Amino acid sequence: MYCISDRQIDFILDDIRRNGIELEDLQLNLLDHVCCIIEQEFEGNGDFEQFYFSIRRRFYKTRLNEIEEETQSLLTFKHYYFMKKAMIISGVFSAFVLTLGIILKFLHLIGASACIVVGIGSFSLLFLPLMVTLRIREKQSVREKVLTLLGSLSAICVSLAILFKLQYWPGANMLGLVSIGILILLFLPVYFITGIRQPDAKVNTVVSSVLMITACGLFLSLARTPHSSLHLKRNQTAHYLRNEQLLKNERLTSNRLNPDAALIDSLCEGLKSVIIKQETGSQHPDWNVAVLSDDRSDVLNPNTPASEAVAELKQRISTYNRNVDAGHALPSAIPLFENNDDRTLPTLNDLVQIQLFLSQNQELK
Amino acid sequence: MIYSSELIKGTLKTIILKLLKENKRMYGYEITQTVKELTKGKIQLTEGALYPSLHALESEGILVTETEYIGKRMRKYYSLSVPGKALTNEKINEFSDFMETMRFLLDIKPAI
Repeated sequence: MYCISDRQIDFILDDIRRNGIELEDLQLNLLDHVCCIIEQEFEGNGDFEQFYFSIRRRFYKTRLNEIEEETQSLLTFKHYYFMKKAMIISGVFSAFVLTLGIILKFLHLIGASACIVVGIGSFSLLFLPLMVTLRIREKQSVREKVLTLLGSLSAICVSLAILFKLQYWPGANMLGLVSIGILILLFLPVYFITGIRQPDAKVNTVVSSVLMITACGLFLSLARTPHSSLHLKRNQTAHYLRNEQLLKNERLTSNRLNPDAALIDSLCEGLKSVIIKQETGSQHPDWNVAVLSDDRSDVLNPNTPASEAVAELKQRISTYNRNVDAGHALPSAIPLFENNDDRTLPTLNDLVQIQLFLSQNQELK
Repeated sequence: MIYSSELIKGTLKTIILKLLKENKRMYGYEITQTVKELTKGKIQLTEGALYPSLHALESEGILVTETEYIGKRMRKYYSLSVPGKALTNEKINEFSDFMETMRFLLDIKPAI
């Protein structure tokens, strides 16, 4: 058995590194392996370097760092099983939670909104991205990978658009239109043109394309166009402004509010100012141009002055109502207090209504 | 006759697991030589196939390693982890079933 020297070991290790093996573990494994072969087979009287290079040649087909590439490929493949498990778990979880949320919604039980948000959110942001990552890996051609990516992106946008719509978050319509755009303008043409060229897939391609176009049509027929959305917002804003005018007219003829009522009134005015400023950018917008929306106003964001004002308003209304009869009680079961629903227009209208009640109660005294 | 690499590719992990089940710990060169001796040269594991598989099995937690200094160089010994031992039996049973299926499919009469 040949006794390999330290200098020869260094030579072999340098050569392994020079040939693109960067993983330290792999370098040491190959070094030991080569040394074992040399110890067993080298007779000591020949050219060491020449013998080493002949041994090294057995390790690869074209170059030594194939071993490292194959190692990296297998290590990446290990994540495949983890991602597959994560995809299945997230899919089952999101389906279960979404179903639970819908049941709670129909039964008017607490937690419905949270379950629906978590269900749709995990479906769009966990399950679908994992699914598309795994599917792309399985596909061979670039065309199939692109089709998978486009289709999944559209599906993610559609489910997020529905979530935004349910939660009255801004941007729902835009997200929906983007998803339809990706489907109709990008995915469908590529899918149709490549599918129609294959004789065995022709009929399926045509049928699937018809189904996709019809589904998009059904979806779009439910959606409001930007023009009709604007028209609706203008009408709703005008409705709110008429309520404000009613309040103004009422104040002209009613008595001064007592201190408790004045405090409630002041809280209402403060909240209205915050909401209008959030919506339009100004506390006194030009109502010929500005419009209000049905989106969330964020006054219920925790630990903000607005959310503290909402809590104080609720408490003061409760105290006020204890001192008046039922017919003069201020509205307290409003969505802002009961359902954490701080959508702009309903909240503004409810606040104006509270102020109208205050003025009328004062007039009747 | 040396079997082609395509035949060996799908069975390499099973071979490694079985060997490590029979022996407490082995290093890479030892694995290649043991397989060559047991199969009388019919199966020759290439380093290009062996080491990526060993690394993958280690990263999956199926194998555990310990290192020793042999002079100036370091030798890595591989052995089965606890989950690895359970997986080995599974893999061997699976492969055995596969062989039966292939025998039936290819209409091969079993050697007596």
